[in-house]
Amino acid sequence: MVTPKDILRKKRAEAVNRIISKGYLSTKRVYVGMATCEIAAGSRDVMEVFRQAIANGLVDVYLSQKGCAGRCNLEPTVEVVEEGKIPVKYGRVTPERAREIVERHLKKGQVIAEWLI
Amino acid sequence: MADLRKDNNVKEVHYKLTLCDGPTCIHNQSKQLHQVLDAEIKNRGVQNVSIHLSGCLGMCKKGPILIVNPGYTMYGNVKAADIPEIVQSHLVEGKPVARLTIIEDHLYNRFFRIFGDVDFFGKQMRITLRNCGIIDPENIDDYLSVRGYEALAKVLTNMKPQDVIAEVKKSGLRGRGGAGFPTGLKWEFTAKAVNGDKYVICNADEGDPGAFMDRGTIEGDPHTVLEGMIIGGYAIGAKKGIVYIRAEYPLAIKRLEKAMDAARQCGFLGKNILGTDFSFDIEIRLGAGAFVCGEETALIHSIEGSRGMPRPRPPFPAVSGLFGKPTLINNVETWANIPVVILDGGDWFSSIGTETSKGTKVFALAGKVRNTGMVEVPMGTTLREIVYDIGGGIPNGKKLKAIQTGGPSGGCLPEQYLDTQIDYESLAKAGSIMGSGGMIVIDEDSCMVGLAKFFIEFTQDESCGKCTPCREGTKRMLEILTRITRGEGRPGDIEKLERLGGMIKKSSLCGLGQSAPNPVLSTIKNFRAEYEEHIHQKKCRAGQCAAMLSYTIGERCVGCGACKRVCPAGAIEGARKEKHVIDAAKCIRCGQCFDVCKFNAVSKA
Amino acid sequence: MAEQITIYINNKEYKVDPGQTIMQAADKLGFHIPRLCYHPKLSIEGACRVCIVEVEGARNYVASCAYPVANGMKIHTNSQELRQARRDIIELILDNHPLDCHVCERDGNCELQRLASSMGIRARHFQGERKVYDKDLSSEAVIRDPEKCILCGRCVRMCSEIQQVHNLTQAHRGFDTVVMPAYDMPMGESVCTACGQCINVCPTAAFLEKNYTQDLFQKLNDPNLIKVVQFAPSVRAAIGEAFGIEPGRNMEGELIAALRKLGFNYVFDTQFSADLTIMEEGSEFLERVQNNGKLPMITSCSSAWMKCLEQFYPDLIENVSTCKSPMSMQGALTKSYFAQKIGVDPKKILSVAAMCCTAKKYEAAREELLVDGMRGVDIVVTTREISWMIKSAGIDLLHIQPEEPDHPLGESSGAGAIFGVTGGVMEAAIRTAYELYTGQTLIDIELESIRGLKGIKEGKIDLDGKEIRVAVAHGLGNACKLLDTVRKDPERYHFIEIMGCPGGCIGGGGQPYAQANSIPLDEGALMKRAQALYDLDRGKTIRRSHDNPDVQKLYKEFLHSPLSKVSHKYLHTHYKAKLPKGIIPKNG
Repeated sequence: MVTPKDILRKKRAEAVNRIISKGYLSTKRVYVGMATCEIAAGSRDVMEVFRQAIANGLVDVYLSQKGCAGRCNLEPTVEVVEEGKIPVKYGRVTPERAREIVERHLKKGQVIAEWLI
Repeated sequence: MADLRKDNNVKEVHYKLTLCDGPTCIHNQSKQLHQVLDAEIKNRGVQNVSIHLSGCLGMCKKGPILIVNPGYTMYGNVKAADIPEIVQSHLVEGKPVARLTIIEDHLYNRFFRIFGDVDFFGKQMRITLRNCGIIDPENIDDYLSVRGYEALAKVLTNMKPQDVIAEVKKSGLRGRGGAGFPTGLKWEFTAKAVNGDKYVICNADEGDPGAFMDRGTIEGDPHTVLEGMIIGGYAIGAKKGIVYIRAEYPLAIKRLEKAMDAARQCGFLGKNILGTDFSFDIEIRLGAGAFVCGEETALIHSIEGSRGMPRPRPPFPAVSGLFGKPTLINNVETWANIPVVILDGGDWFSSIGTETSKGTKVFALAGKVRNTGMVEVPMGTTLREIVYDIGGGIPNGKKLKAIQTGGPSGGCLPEQYLDTQIDYESLAKAGSIMGSGGMIVIDEDSCMVGLAKFFIEFTQDESCGKCTPCREGTKRMLEILTRITRGEGRPGDIEKLERLGGMIKKSSLCGLGQSAPNPVLSTIKNFRAEYEEHIHQKKCRAGQCAAMLSYTIGERCVGCGACKRVCPAGAIEGARKEKHVIDAAKCIRCGQCFDVCKFNAVSKA
Repeated sequence: MAEQITIYINNKEYKVDPGQTIMQAADKLGFHIPRLCYHPKLSIEGACRVCIVEVEGARNYVASCAYPVANGMKIHTNSQELRQARRDIIELILDNHPLDCHVCERDGNCELQRLASSMGIRARHFQGERKVYDKDLSSEAVIRDPEKCILCGRCVRMCSEIQQVHNLTQAHRGFDTVVMPAYDMPMGESVCTACGQCINVCPTAAFLEKNYTQDLFQKLNDPNLIKVVQFAPSVRAAIGEAFGIEPGRNMEGELIAALRKLGFNYVFDTQFSADLTIMEEGSEFLERVQNNGKLPMITSCSSAWMKCLEQFYPDLIENVSTCKSPMSMQGALTKSYFAQKIGVDPKKILSVAAMCCTAKKYEAAREELLVDGMRGVDIVVTTREISWMIKSAGIDLLHIQPEEPDHPLGESSGAGAIFGVTGGVMEAAIRTAYELYTGQTLIDIELESIRGLKGIKEGKIDLDGKEIRVAVAHGLGNACKLLDTVRKDPERYHFIEIMGCPGGCIGGGGQPYAQANSIPLDEGALMKRAQALYDLDRGKTIRRSHDNPDVQKLYKEFLHSPLSKVSHKYLHTHYKAKLPKGIIPKNG
């Protein structure tokens, strides 16, 4: 008999595959905070910068959104998870900073230490 | 994510060691371990290592726990004798000691893998917020990949409704909306009530000024709330759930709707959930932003289409709630805890926290503190830890004056209560409440009378107007506080406030009125001198009550005329390059001269 | 019966029945816990907090009106701290209430005033801002004065629970809370049916009838006018209460004498046209039965009910009798038949009605009821107003020599008298219809099945082998319930009597305020008023409307026959759907 657990297991496997097919296994993953608080702090524009960068040919980057992690005074936040490196989180990201993150961190692999949380 | 340091240059790595500092681990000698570890690191001259103490990590049975980041290597049952090997092999040579590592797959663990290296999160323990800021809330796949809906599948596969209730009871979970009623008992009462249909309600009518825990939870992880509600529906035998959420939360509503659609498509919501006979669906109802609609009977009236006004209890909603049917109402945070309770077990859950309060509590930390934001800590954490270790202390070198917990229904605790543990009973004993989780840090620049006035102004405005003590009484309290802050206080005003406050607390119909006087009564109790100064000496030591300020120009004045130009009342006289003078009779105490003076010549007192 | 439980009140042990509230238990034990928003006929509001008591183990005081007793419960009703809290609560209400007791219409019968006095409130501690509102004078009948309102919510509950009109509600929040019709519509444009029950249950003067006493006094002094007055059956059964006597004494003769002393030239009795109504309505009913007319036929005496029908049940308008109410019939005849008889210009006649009703003020102004462009009734005063006038004119109602009404519109049968009680119109109609239909005399004329205060009553009459099913409802809420049944099952009844007020006219919105030891609309008091009318009926030799000699004379001299053309001109009218703003017609 198929139990609810079996059904769920199958659904999870499908879900993981879908995430992977969207590029989750890229070398770099970028998460932009997109809760009301983050959006109020300007995260939509930041998200747009990363979206544009990918549209303009930035490869091997998986872009996603996330909810509020609680660092209100440092919003908008952007988290970069890089294969084999410590995940880092940038605070008070403006579109200008986002463009820098694209150029320096995502393209050249340099962590911009002074903007880290 | 566990293989983060594959080919990392060791020199670049700054190791962060997190040592569990929960009560059980302390009992298991974690303090001594800390000293040994510290000594060992210094001995071997290892650089780039920092040691952090965390709150309870919830793995008490395997404590003491040591986590090494990056890489999230977890060592359990660590003994002092193991330390040299860990330091040498892991920190110096970069090889984790496989024999001592443990794997614990609690839901919230992922959090540390990502955030364990940030101070802000060190003492936090994230159960409610375990996925917030980690997964994409608009993608059910993300939720599924972090064991989403597994608790539901578990319940539907091999738990009877009474088993679910037993597990919730065992967990010791209490209502996170403020009153702290044991959740399992509430579920049991509702399950036992028989009267046709039953309902499950999620109270997302977050009304405290400055509180945003519910919004954060729903926006960051809507599915966990839905999953909790579905499990609740199964446990009590309801077919219908309602999320009552304020219309001012458009993004949360959108994400909730999206989550519900996705859950329906996946068969987690709707008819025959996960192929079983159990059917349950959820509907969203929007509140119009009335604070009182967070009170459960007022909320029910609002859903029914009536004016949002509370009614006397009993009967409780568990017996006669929505449309007169047995109704289970829990707050967002309570619901979000349910999947964890089911997956990790009531026993595990009840191992976190204090004797009477289990699990964690989310707070919206705000006010005069360096790190403001949403924090989740195990029950039993002290206010000091939240303000200083997590919040980073008071900025600008100011002194802490008080901590206000529980929003407009809560109280102000002065510095001597900093070591109060966060749990329902301790906070109540200290004179405040847990409430829904607002926490405002107040420094010496704030006037306590003004603060009390602010809160009573809020509750007076939000009173539904039904019962006399709340409607009329808070108005009179506000009038008295207003005149005190205007420098028109009279002897006997404090006693009047106490008399009214005590009566309103004991006589009001609902929780709003019963708690409305708390900010006033607790500030009188803890800061009576400030009230007396206002009334008798017409003095506000924080310099906030404008009516009591007087501005004077001192010897530093160079006669630049800047103050004279900005003064809207024409109260400043003085020839160029000569000392200016303020005419106190004309001065309206707007403070513009004070702000504009470049020579600090204007003083206020 | 469940086993009794033990409770302790003020440290004394008592055995009480379970399943009741603390207040109910205490009442039976002789503890009268002070109360304000509580009313036994309405749902529990728990709003005023005056009835709080201390229950050992409870964190806060509990409202005794709402809190159930439990075994072993230890209750304190009178501790020092509790007394102070209760007094403070009443003080807080007073602090937001105009301090104009001595010029207030409710002076002397205001529940708040009595409460403040009995609580011993002699000083004030928390005075501050007070609410300021304009009076709403837009309605012909009911004045709304939010300044006097203490927000007990009785009117709101009365309007929605008992009357199901749902006109009144609380609006705004906190200190700004105010009771008003939906969308703050003026009472005159709202769905208010003018039944006046809000006035009856209001503990203060937040609702009052529109007062015409000064106007009337002035006109009574006008030598050019012929002053004619009629008074409703229920007025005589209740007016004594306004003079401090027990409910249930028929004051008919004293009232007639007092009205003449006030300056009326002719005192007629509305019971006369009650008999006339039976002639017309009974004939109309038989005609509908015989000619397959629209059934069930529904009575049209109650003006609040007529507005309710037009607003909420427009689909049933055809079912309603075309007869005017007795008051309007009497008014129309006063200015026609009577004017001709005494040979004066009807414009010179001042036609006044003393009614137990506030809605009659509204009815008298209805355009549909004008005859030749003239109002049948110029001024309507309530039982309360007429009692004030009597007191004000220095007339000693209680010791006056009783007098008889004038002819030709004063004689009445016992059937006319019982119009004032729920079921009375039906009973009277059956007495006549039976004879008109069967040609035989009905022996057992007291129809117990449709007497009493049950919300909806049903009965059956055998008309020569034809079964006639009748139903009676009093209070608009019961009326709505009954009409919902009719909508679903139109064949169920043949004849329906509806009265807008609880108990019928005896519980009208214009009746004297509850006495100090009583509550508004107390069932015991209502039953006594009813009994006064039933006794009046029993004491008459003429107990059937068609036997009334003045009625017979009227037909001979003026109307010719029931439902004649003349009858239609003076005694019948029509109704039309009224859909005020915001009302969506039920059933399309």
